Formats: sequence, structure tokens, C-alpha cells
Amino acid sequence: MFLTRMPINAARRGARRLMASPQAFHAAVLAGFAGDGSGRDGRVLWRLDSHEQRRVVLYVFSPDKPDFTHIVEQAGWPTTEAWDTKSYEPLLDSLEVGKRFQFRLTANPVRSGRRDGWKETKPLGHVTARQQEAWLLDRAERLGFQVVPSSVGAGDGVAEPDVAVVDRSVRRFDRKGAQVTLAMATFQGQLEVSDVEALRHTLTHGVGRAKAYGCGLLTLARPPGTSSS
Amino acid sequence: MSVVAISLSGPMQSWGSGSKFVRRSTEMAPTKSGIVGLIAAAKGLRRTDPLEELLGLRLGVRIDQPGQLMRDFQTAQRPRKERDGTVTWRSMPLSYRYYISDAAFVAALEGERALVEGIDEALRSPAFPLYLGRRSCPPAGPLALGVFDDDVMSVLAQLPWMAGERHQRRHVTQDVRLGVLRDAHAGEPGAETIHDEPVSFDPNRRLYGWRSVAREHVVVTNPHGREGAVEHDPMSVLGGG
Repeated sequence: MFLTRMPINAARRGARRLMASPQAFHAAVLAGFAGDGSGRDGRVLWRLDSHEQRRVVLYVFSPDKPDFTHIVEQAGWPTTEAWDTKSYEPLLDSLEVGKRFQFRLTANPVRSGRRDGWKETKPLGHVTARQQEAWLLDRAERLGFQVVPSSVGAGDGVAEPDVAVVDRSVRRFDRKGAQVTLAMATFQGQLEVSDVEALRHTLTHGVGRAKAYGCGLLTLARPPGTSSS
Repeated sequence: MSVVAISLSGPMQSWGSGSKFVRRSTEMAPTKSGIVGLIAAAKGLRRTDPLEELLGLRLGVRIDQPGQLMRDFQTAQRPRKERDGTVTWRSMPLSYRYYISDAAFVAALEGERALVEGIDEALRSPAFPLYLGRRSCPPAGPLALGVFDDDVMSVLAQLPWMAGERHQRRHVTQDVRLGVLRDAHAGEPGAETIHDEPVSFDPNRRLYGWRSVAREHVVVTNPHGREGAVEHDPMSVLGGG
């Protein structure tokens, strides 16, 4: 199992084309694998992080080692920066109950709802940041972690959980003639491992819906304030 | 050596270095010829006056807020009176003029103490009106930031971030990296050359030389940064494998 980081050159036309359509991006990511990328221990998950206007990074989790030459040629820096793939096993093996990490997750928070005239319920996107946070907190325990209480604003004894929706958007695009609408939210915060097996499954199989469209990849990093090993 | 720091921010700026004919371009950071010209205007020098004492200054420009490139397709016309008294309008050459909009820079110039103090004083009470590269680009506030006993890079590292509040709020981290373009040392590797070393502003014999520029960056604090906000880097927990 591997995690790959690849910088995307957002100034290139190929990058614009991919970033405009999650469907095209998914196809490009999957084209990096000889098979269909899925296996017994996980499926391909990907996410685009844009830190600043011009700094976009693609993260991919995959059971097999990828080859993204085609994406670098269209949307990267072919002569200087390619991609960086690292084995995910050391992290998965080091998970212990009580261990803390900083996390980042782009997800598609939905609830099931029915509007007038609908025969059946359909998944409807959560749109406010509060609903989206509640959506994540609601299923954190099942996913194998707890969100750590925040250290700021804990004066009156009730500490808010340390999670924030740092980016959110509603994406619309066409798929086979029908329109797909996705409410996407990017969460960042601190978590504490509460169930190792469940968290392993979360990290390798993703969270929530729309995993083919850049949602569901949960990544862990060292919490702020701790020195690099 | 002493350093004088100048704040260059305004709704529009334009810093040309190699414009010819109808295409009047701008660099994305203030040029040395533009800044030396601004100081000469503040001191009340005429275009034909010798510039010698200003030419030895070492320049560093910090990019506080990069701004956006703006193009003006200019269709100016001028009136001409015909013999019968009617007025016809003749087009001036159609030209493309480029500007940087909504940008903020800090320039630091290093030189002798007396010279640098004179520049600071002149900027506070200029002899001619001052503008940021073109006459139509007035500065958005006082230019002079004072005189420091230090070198260019450390002055640029200690001055506060001059970007607008909205721009600052867009950065969540407490430290921000700002690019700096400074005069390169002799023989420094990786330096770029641009046609921007002013020699004379004499309208009949304008002269520019080539100038070597090195790119660096300084880290300054963001007053609107959130404590503990660090960039998420999942590769940090994966080790060497």
C-alpha cells in the first residue's frame, strides 16, 4: 500500500482540464495503474489540496505502486518535479489507541432526505459548515478515531472539537448526459486513534461517498508542535 | 552601510524595462530604473542632471502582495483644427499599456549614511510629484519607511508585512515567505540579467545597462495567521520507505 504526492502545475492547460472535471481526474489517476487499482486491502483514493492559488498537490492512496508519467507530462513539471511514492505500511503498523495525528479529509457529506414529489429518499448534500462538521463528528467513532478537544477557547470548560471546514464547494459536472452535483467539504483538525482496525479500514477504503471524484481520502500527519523524528 | 526603505503600494503600478513602440510592458516588481527615477524626482533633479551618486546604491525589492497584471488597450485621439474651422479627431497609435493592479512592494536601498538619509528626507518632502512607474499611478500613502543601520536582506526581513488585510487573511499560517529580488553579488551563480541599470535619464540620450538580479525570500510574520496552523503534510509520518 502506497501514498503518492504529486505537485500539479495549475498554470498548464492540461492541469486546468483535469481540475475542471473530477471525472477526468479520476480517469487520469486510474490510468496510472496496470489493473483497476482495487484490491483486497483497499481501493484507489485521491484528493487535490490547493494550499495557495498556485500550489496544488495531488495525493493518491493505492494498493499498488502507481506510474503517473502521463499526468506529469500533461499537468506537472516534467523536467524537475515528478511524484513521490512512499510505503503506507509503516504508518498503518504504527497506529495505536491514544496516538494523536493531524488529519485532513475532503469528503462529500450527505444525509438521506425526501422532497415533495419524490417517491424515494435520495442522498442530499450537507451545505453549511456546521452541518458538515456534525456529519464528520457523528461518524468519527465508527471510522476509528475521536476528534481531539480544541485547546483554544476552552475557558468556560466546554472545549469545542478541534476540527474546521477549511474549504468547501459545490461542484457540478456532466456525466453521461446527466448532471452530477457534489457538495464537497475539506476538514482539517486533530484526531486520536480509538480503534486501530477501523481506522486502518478508513485509511485504505475511504470515507463517505463520491470516492471516484476526489472525496474520502483521509490523511494523517504529525500534529503541530511535535518535532520531526 | 545604511539602508533606506520605501513602501511602494497603490491601486496601479507600472514598471517598464524594455518597452518599444506601442507595447508598453511592465515587470511584475519595481525596477531599479523606476526607483532611482522616483528618488531623483523627490530630490528635484532634472532629467539631464548627473545621477552618479544614486547609481551605486544596492537595491532589494520585497514582494508583499503580488497584484495582478492589467492591460489597457489605449485608443487616445487628439483634435485637429481644419482650415474651415471644423475640428476633426485623429487617432494616436493604438497601444497596449500594462499595469500591475493592487500590489504592494517594499524597496530597500543600501548606500552611504549621508546619501541614504538625504533620500529619506527627500521622499518625505519631494520636489516633484512622485508616482509608481507612470504618471497615472500615484502611491497610496507615504513612501518613506525610515533609515536603518543594517544590510538590505535583514531590513527586508524585519519590516512588517505591508499587504492588505484581505490578502493577509487568505494566508492561515503565522509565517509567510515573501519573494525578494535583489542586486546580485559579482559572479553570483543563478543570477538573471535584465536591461534595467539606469545610467542616464537624459531625454535625448537615455541609457540603461544590464543588471544582475538574484531571487531569494524572507520569512515575515502574518498578523492574521492562526496559531498552530501548519500545512498538512501526510508524507511526514511515512519515513524513508
